[in-house]
Amino acid sequence: MEEGAKWTNSFIFLKKKGVRVSLNCNMIQMTHVFKTYPSQITALSDITLEISVGEFIFITGPSGSGKTTLLRILFCAERPTSGEVVVNGVRITQKGFREIHLLRRKMGMVFQDFKLLQDCTVGENIAFSLEVTGHVQKEIKKKVFEILSRVGLQEREGDSVLSLSAGEQQRVAIARALVNDPPLLLADEPTGNLDDPMTLDVMQIFTDLHHRGATIVFATHDMDLIQRYPYRAIYLLKGRKVSGSA
Amino acid sequence: MRRNLFPNLTTIAIIGISMLLFSSFSLIAHNLTSFLRIWEDKIEVIAYLKKGIPMSEIESLLKETRQLEGIETVNYVSPYDAMTFMESKLGSQKNLLEGIQPGVLPSSFEIRLKKHFRNSMSIKEVVYQLKRFPQIEEIQYGQQWVETFSAVVHVFRLTQWVLGGLLLIGIIFITFNTLQLTISSRKDEIEIMYILGASPAFIQVPFYVEGLIQGLLGTGLAILFLFYFYYKVLLYHVFFLYITPSIKEWLTEIPILFLPPEKIVMIILGGMVLGFFGSFAASMRFLKYRV
Repeated sequence: MEEGAKWTNSFIFLKKKGVRVSLNCNMIQMTHVFKTYPSQITALSDITLEISVGEFIFITGPSGSGKTTLLRILFCAERPTSGEVVVNGVRITQKGFREIHLLRRKMGMVFQDFKLLQDCTVGENIAFSLEVTGHVQKEIKKKVFEILSRVGLQEREGDSVLSLSAGEQQRVAIARALVNDPPLLLADEPTGNLDDPMTLDVMQIFTDLHHRGATIVFATHDMDLIQRYPYRAIYLLKGRKVSGSA
Repeated sequence: MRRNLFPNLTTIAIIGISMLLFSSFSLIAHNLTSFLRIWEDKIEVIAYLKKGIPMSEIESLLKETRQLEGIETVNYVSPYDAMTFMESKLGSQKNLLEGIQPGVLPSSFEIRLKKHFRNSMSIKEVVYQLKRFPQIEEIQYGQQWVETFSAVVHVFRLTQWVLGGLLLIGIIFITFNTLQLTISSRKDEIEIMYILGASPAFIQVPFYVEGLIQGLLGTGLAILFLFYFYYKVLLYHVFFLYITPSIKEWLTEIPILFLPPEKIVMIILGGMVLGFFGSFAASMRFLKYRV
């Protein structure tokens, strides 16, 4: 196990046990990261950022500011043009494409549009995540029930996702992202399609996760939402970091 | 496959139609080749002898002819045998031959060639050797017919390969595009698999297996349909409905064959390979691991 991952696991273990631990290890470290697309549009410009293990951080800014690009780089869906990115102790910029899926299994990703299998049930959507990572059927059944209980949807396991409200669908997406117990959760505008009560509902799940020790990177353009929570926020504008400490 | 029933059925149907075209062509080619073989088998040379040759000389000539290269059998046909043959051919009209003496007819050799000599070039070689015997007056072997026939065989075999090749390219193109549409209809599912950390093999292998199964089902259906057509239509109906009795009689001598088992296996395997490679090529665009 790499050094960073060892730290993360120890930290989560201690936090679950209720032990107060100081944040002395980074989950994410971005150093002078640039991202320019072939069309010469610069999405990120000289981003240097450190996110500690167990931290909840907001990435904010208007549309086109680079929030999604930043998350996609962390999720290995894009490579930076230059700079270095270390996630959970792994220098992801040096990983070949055959190893990326292994990195992704240690991250959960939640999207504004949920990205659920529309013709499947709630349970099947979550089970799919476990099938993909090679779990056996018996284990899948148990884990699906456990995770649905955590997001309050245990009664809806056999229902089609199309019969759920937007808030409930997002809860399924969060459950799916969490079912493999990733130490890092990336959320790209997860409340963008939700009304206020649903937003609060979903935020409650995120804050619970944070209290359980997960590191959460939450991209949103909703400044009111950010002001309601006492977490650090990084403000991006035209790909540059204009406020928020490194 | 269950989740994407319609695109899968479309792919199976396209592979099926393409392979039906190909196997129909193979069936025609197989039957024409067998038909040509039957004709080739019937090729023989008749050497007419000069009149008044003593029997002892005919016997030694018979021996010499049998020793020539490419000769399988040589039968001596005396004028009396020729007369009997003509009478049997004329049937009820044999009285036309009344008053004709057998001596009017020449004696002849019916020469059957070895299998690999039954072609235009080889026949010419045999005829050249026969012409050196002074006792032989005339040789008949349907020269023009044999030459035309050989040319037809040659052109047909060439056409079979050229058309077969073009058809195959067309089939690959159609299958590739249909499979690309099938995979494209599942790009959301593929994207979700990427997000969840599925390995490249986990994403790609089912598509290849699906391609193989689609190839097997499509080709299997094509062969079944072709067999049904052969059994119900070719064998019993078409030829016996709209043709004159004389052609009917002639056609009954020609066996209409279905594809032999080894060709069926090859076509089915070909369909599976087609499905696999179509799937492989089509998936390259969508399944390339995005970084």
